[in-house]
Amino acid sequence: MTRRFFVVVAIVLFGLVFASLAIGYTEQHSLRALAESYVRLVPQELGAPNVITGILLTYRAFDTLGEVAVLFMVGAGVVLVLSADRWPRAAAYGPEKPRQSSEIMQSGAQILAPLIAIFAAYIIMNGHLSAGGGFQGGAVIASCVLLLLLAYPQYQVNIEFLSITESVAGALFVLAGIAGLIVADGFLDSRILPLGQFGAFFSAGAIPVLSILLGVKVGCELSVILDGFRPEPVEQKDQV
Amino acid sequence: MMEVIGSTLVLLGALFHFSAGLGMLRMPDVYTRMQAGTKASTLGNTLILAGLAFYHPGWSLKLLIIVYFVLMTNPISSHALARAAYGIRIPLAGDTGIDALRDDQQNLRSKP
Repeated sequence: MTRRFFVVVAIVLFGLVFASLAIGYTEQHSLRALAESYVRLVPQELGAPNVITGILLTYRAFDTLGEVAVLFMVGAGVVLVLSADRWPRAAAYGPEKPRQSSEIMQSGAQILAPLIAIFAAYIIMNGHLSAGGGFQGGAVIASCVLLLLLAYPQYQVNIEFLSITESVAGALFVLAGIAGLIVADGFLDSRILPLGQFGAFFSAGAIPVLSILLGVKVGCELSVILDGFRPEPVEQKDQV
Repeated sequence: MMEVIGSTLVLLGALFHFSAGLGMLRMPDVYTRMQAGTKASTLGNTLILAGLAFYHPGWSLKLLIIVYFVLMTNPISSHALARAAYGIRIPLAGDTGIDALRDDQQNLRSKP
């Protein structure tokens, strides 16, 4: 009885919180001064129709670089923690040996993986034109890797290749930033390349290039993290 | 006219989604719940997207691609989930009559 009473009280309190949010909400009919200047400046100065990508990869590109670094640290941490005790777990909760994935799964992965990869490339390459960009595309790449890992549990991800690719992408990102320092107005200024025609595929200065580098880097990082969740390959060989 | 057809299709899709939700609540075990959720939501999605295609004929190609993607991924993902659930021995509902996967595995094992 008292428990039900508390549940009702909790529901009423939640209702009050959300009701106050819903009542207090008024739709803004004009942009704030900062938003307005961004909306005006990004197409004008950077030549990118997608304002958000323009902000992320030029005005706040240093912040983006920090985010990627944080993601890298997360990846390193996950791999470190997970590799500390690899798979007494599988023995405790799972079957005696790793299950082979079914034929349906493998065929599905073969059909879907290229589609997902193309979609990822599309998202990354059109980051300056429509919704998307490096981070989102990188996450889609990682989902493709996850699908392959599920379909082929024995598949060995080449961690070294991923790490090297990721480092090269990161280094190129920083180099592009330094080039901005020399050629254009500041660190990670995207106007080191010609702006091109507004709305065209090759336009908006270095934003597409930075998008690609970011996408490759994020995709590699997330793939390494995903691989960290897998059983130890040596043990697997013993069991199979 | 097009709008009426589109709305009807969307409504029908919503009905299937509702039945998916009902199935999730009412079915006795993991496997039947998964089956209810997947089958009904796959058809529901397809119908809703078809209804949208009637509303916006210009989007048809994109919607077709999305339908293809849903038709590919939804059954495969539920299949993988169900197999994983079977693999860690989540029990079937009490009155399940046939366990074809177990029979199949036993057949495989009994063969030399």
